[in-house]
Amino acid sequence: MYQSFIGLEIHIQLATQTKIFCGCKAAFGDEPNSNICPVCMGYPGVLPVLNQEAMRMAYVVARTLNCTLSPRSVFERKNYFYPDLPKNYQISQYEHPLGRDGFVDIEFHKKKRRVRIHEVHLEEDAGKMIHAGDMSLLDYNRAGTPLLEIVTEPDLEVGEEAEVLLQQFRRMVRYLGVCDGNMEEGSMRCDANVSVNLSGAGLGNKVEIKNLNSSRFVRKALNFEISRQKDILERGGTVVQETRLWNENRDVSEAMRTKESAHDYRYFPEPDLPPFITDEAFLLEVEKGLVELPAARRTRFIEEYGLSELQAEFLIDERSTAEFFEQTIALGADPQSAASWLASDVKKLLNRRDESIDSSVLNPERFAELLRLLDEGRIHGKIAKQVLEEVFASDASPAAIIKAKGWEQITDPAELSDYISTVLEAHPNAVEQVRAGDAKPVGFLVGQVMKATSGRAEPQLLQELISSRLAVKVIHVLSFGGAISGVRREDGLIGPGELFDLRTEFAGDTGLPAELRLEEIQLGAFLSEEIAPADWAVLVSEIARRIEDSEAAGIVVAHGTDTLSYTASLLYWFFGKARIPIILTASSVPNDSKRGSAKPRSEAVANISAAVKRAASGAPGVGVVYGAQEFAPLNLKFERVEEGADRAGVFRTWNEAVVPAGAGPMSTGPASTGAPVSVDLSHLPNPIYPAAGVDPTDRKAVQAALEEAMSRCFIVKAFPGMRGDHLITLMKNGVRYFVLELYDTGTASVRETPYSLRAALQYGAANGVSFFCTSQQEAMVDFADYVTSHELWREGAIPMGRLTTESAFTRLIVAQLGSEDELEVQRIMEDQ
Amino acid sequence: MLTFWKNVLENSPDAYEKAVRARDARIGAFLEFNPKRHLGNAAHKAASAEKHAVLAGLPFGVKDNIAVDGFRLSCGSRILEKFTSPYHATAVQRLMDVGAVPVGKTNLDEFGMGSSTDNSALGNTTNPWNEDHVVGGSSGGSAAAVAAGLVPFALGSDTGGSVRQPASFCGVYGLKPTYGTVSRFGLVAYASSLDVIGALSADLDVLQAVYEVMSGADAFDQTSIDVQSLGSRDAEAGGAASLGYRGKSPCLGVLKPDQLELSAEVSETYYACLEGFRSLGYEVKEISLSMLEYVAPVYYTIATAEASANLARYNGVRYGLRPDYAENPDELVRLSRDQGFGPEVKLRILLGTYVLRSGFQDQYYLRAQKIRTAIRQDFEAGFGEVDMILTPTFPRQAFKHGGEDMSPFEQKQADKFTASANLAGIPALNFPAGVLKGLPVGMQLLAPAFGEPRLLAAARDYATLYQPELAPGYERPAGEQ
Repeated sequence: MYQSFIGLEIHIQLATQTKIFCGCKAAFGDEPNSNICPVCMGYPGVLPVLNQEAMRMAYVVARTLNCTLSPRSVFERKNYFYPDLPKNYQISQYEHPLGRDGFVDIEFHKKKRRVRIHEVHLEEDAGKMIHAGDMSLLDYNRAGTPLLEIVTEPDLEVGEEAEVLLQQFRRMVRYLGVCDGNMEEGSMRCDANVSVNLSGAGLGNKVEIKNLNSSRFVRKALNFEISRQKDILERGGTVVQETRLWNENRDVSEAMRTKESAHDYRYFPEPDLPPFITDEAFLLEVEKGLVELPAARRTRFIEEYGLSELQAEFLIDERSTAEFFEQTIALGADPQSAASWLASDVKKLLNRRDESIDSSVLNPERFAELLRLLDEGRIHGKIAKQVLEEVFASDASPAAIIKAKGWEQITDPAELSDYISTVLEAHPNAVEQVRAGDAKPVGFLVGQVMKATSGRAEPQLLQELISSRLAVKVIHVLSFGGAISGVRREDGLIGPGELFDLRTEFAGDTGLPAELRLEEIQLGAFLSEEIAPADWAVLVSEIARRIEDSEAAGIVVAHGTDTLSYTASLLYWFFGKARIPIILTASSVPNDSKRGSAKPRSEAVANISAAVKRAASGAPGVGVVYGAQEFAPLNLKFERVEEGADRAGVFRTWNEAVVPAGAGPMSTGPASTGAPVSVDLSHLPNPIYPAAGVDPTDRKAVQAALEEAMSRCFIVKAFPGMRGDHLITLMKNGVRYFVLELYDTGTASVRETPYSLRAALQYGAANGVSFFCTSQQEAMVDFADYVTSHELWREGAIPMGRLTTESAFTRLIVAQLGSEDELEVQRIMEDQ
Repeated sequence: MLTFWKNVLENSPDAYEKAVRARDARIGAFLEFNPKRHLGNAAHKAASAEKHAVLAGLPFGVKDNIAVDGFRLSCGSRILEKFTSPYHATAVQRLMDVGAVPVGKTNLDEFGMGSSTDNSALGNTTNPWNEDHVVGGSSGGSAAAVAAGLVPFALGSDTGGSVRQPASFCGVYGLKPTYGTVSRFGLVAYASSLDVIGALSADLDVLQAVYEVMSGADAFDQTSIDVQSLGSRDAEAGGAASLGYRGKSPCLGVLKPDQLELSAEVSETYYACLEGFRSLGYEVKEISLSMLEYVAPVYYTIATAEASANLARYNGVRYGLRPDYAENPDELVRLSRDQGFGPEVKLRILLGTYVLRSGFQDQYYLRAQKIRTAIRQDFEAGFGEVDMILTPTFPRQAFKHGGEDMSPFEQKQADKFTASANLAGIPALNFPAGVLKGLPVGMQLLAPAFGEPRLLAAARDYATLYQPELAPGYERPAGEQ
């Protein structure tokens, strides 16, 4: 077993106005050799003059990295010949760097690590040499730009950690305002030291890798280098201590120079610059430069505003976004809606317009006003999006826009009641039908009110007012196949069918509220094991449409038991924050009772009855009702147990610590009229839709998106003797994401045999395929404790914590809908 | 004489130019001479500061390792032969601000490395007192220009004695100020921790004014010091005229004879000089500078180490000599340096590179730094007992061209009196103390840091006993009718 050690040397160009030792402009992208002077060109007779601002920034970074600040830092000359180095020595620091012994904390795939900072020192950058044909051209604009080098101890283990560290660094320096962190333009650069050795044998022979121009290259180059060194060691060879260059075109590292030809830099103290002594005033300036860092701000956002990790992550990524968010909150906006608007519509508009939040016409005042109008119900969601676009287009305030456009919703109950009265008077037959127990005309009447108000009626209020005026509560029951709606055929087998007639079955059910009006909608007649993406698309779009419309006070989904755990979690990821209850229910056997004869009630009838009651009176959001119990929609497992003469089923929730199970038996008996108790869903991972992506009411779009997303996913269960190459075959056929069901806390074989996951993981890592790991048992997957799970972590597998395979799988599907790339999918998957 | 100098550029620049060129054809003091180039750029006489009015209108020579905008900055080297400076050194700018006019660039040992000016790759300079003898170095051109009456003063640089030693060879005053009092901005670095810009003149009033104008903190040199704000004993005393040493009997330290190893002429002059100071009321006290024997090796270790880095910038890439063709950038750099540097420069670069090698620093560079500290402490202890120290400037008079009577190694060892001041960072002044066998002899006064005023005051005192002679045939300034 091998162990790898990675240390980084990170260079950041400090964003000072002028260069470190002269008054030339420090800027990227200007005409070559336009920002130069005798000093930075190393003319005879010139002397360096230290830029105090560069020193301040450097100390701010060192302080932020928890370094011991040197009260006296000394510049030295580092001697080497290279045409882009004007003086042929670089003024740097060596014996007395400005900062030492710091640390930074990172986290990769749930594993936290403290990376020690060896030192932080300030130096001058060199120019650039460009080889063109048989000529070599030099641009000295960069020569003399202040460059801060941060050297870590070899505390990292895999390339991904280095990538995380660099991303964190980038964000940190941007927050501090000392660098834009742009690796492509070279304002942030990285060299890495890698060594591999047998576990427990300490550091191996060190190889330095240069030319890592993006955090992605850092990851690839390091992982390449680790496996290269492992291969050498496995073949009994010795790793040569050398410097290698990363070739980004060929994805390999290439030897550059060996230790024997290494430079002797002949350091000695720079006689032209006195030692830099920190005084109280300077240290005070340094303290003033410290800011709340991204990681701390993320934690605070989660705790203070109740945001999800992903929401917080998005907000804190840029300091300007985080500050915009907090300014908006200070103006009284709701953190949840501010966060989700910023992450979706605002972000989309900014991207489209190629603007940044601090330079756009949307200011916190306008944004807070928009959210307030929405919150007060003066506009609804769809209009709000239009208003937002209009703010950008016409540089006006939301209130002014809705006034000018006449987009304000009718939120005054009295005013809306007048419209309702007019409509009800105009349609006495429909009203009569409703009173007689028919739900259908409610939709018609709602439509008429909407028409009368030109669509300006606030949906929730309209639904409430209509319900109370007609004294009805409309629940839509969506029949979505399964045994609950199935039939027992002549041959004894259960087949698909249509849901029984509820009104008939419930005729004698005194437990049902009198105002209840049920509408049955047949979405599909199939068994739940037959569900295809198209079926889910129908279900999702039908539910989405009903959330937007005003007639239904709740939705019940009659489902089969086999795949209920998938559909329930899928709907949760989509509609966990819906304004009305969406309750799934199922039955392990069809309604065998003769139609019309109410007693004894079958399991199917009893469960639907309970679900309807729950939908009519419970909390909004997605829930599952089965066998007189309510369950959270995540982590369900169906268990069939022998119970008396009937074969019966029962659901159970895995990992209740995070996903609470049922809150006890519900009051479903005919004698009881008490409201069912709802499960507290506040501990659940946040739903992830809507973030972006498809319009959920658009069935075709949802179907296309689901089909595409599901074609990239695969569930694999680890088993003894499993061959990794079969997974490679799947990857070659387009599988980009695996839900990998491992043993217990996330263990599996990664031995060097064909009968292990190793080859598949490595192939996957090289090809950008993700492995989201769940457990075959009721366990938390965190890759702790076992050697094999640590190996899995090293190879890039992502632990799914307490999510079951089914919940992780549906999360993965929905995650893809709103994501731009695989990295974003990974981030969503890890945000639990 | 000063009246002539103050008006010559304004009244008869052409005649002056002609006269200088004629004289300099024999001496070779200037590498470049053009009195009109900066005539209009120096501050107008009337506008110049009253305090330093003595300098207004004066022409001056500048050693060719100090930057003057529009003039070459060759450093006496092939590698910079055609390099023209795009800026003024701070010292030059300050002199121009009070009306002085830089008229040309004087010859030197390549990059200041030498004691004869024979190490110049670009010209030969001879001693106005005797053309068979060297002018000293490295600021030989400046010394010769002053001694031959080409200019009333000239700037030099002093790393190990390069202002004082040629001044002694030519019989003029040469001041090496305290390290840091004069900005080094514009002085081409040889050994940065030792280099200082100094001045040479036959006139103490001019020398003092030049020093006062040049000195003071400079934003372009972070090692420069604001002398005025230091409030040193000498500065408080209000300058040379009222130093007050006479009142309390200034004390002069002298070295034990076994430390001196002098030529007969220099020895004779030294003891005569001592007696002279006694007769002026100075107390004379024998002191010991135990570290003196280490001065030359320590100086050459530190100076060459710094030089190896300082001269690395001359690679032919951005300016200076470069070959017509090179296969690649590495070869371009190699060829430029091979063709551009002279043998003494190459020797010192190699030596400096050697002493800085990793693994050898403890043995050479770091040890030299420790001894340097000991030398500084040696002086501090000495100045606890005496106000100034009197030594010869150089153990002998000007030697002959070609090194037949003094080998390069002996020349280096002979730097010990002068180089000690550079290692300690203290001010030192060469003053003419006599002429023997047709060649001048100079003596050196050393003072604690910022003690320039007392050095000048002592020199004034001594001038009442011995008025410096000018080289025969050059008693009158060039161009004076």
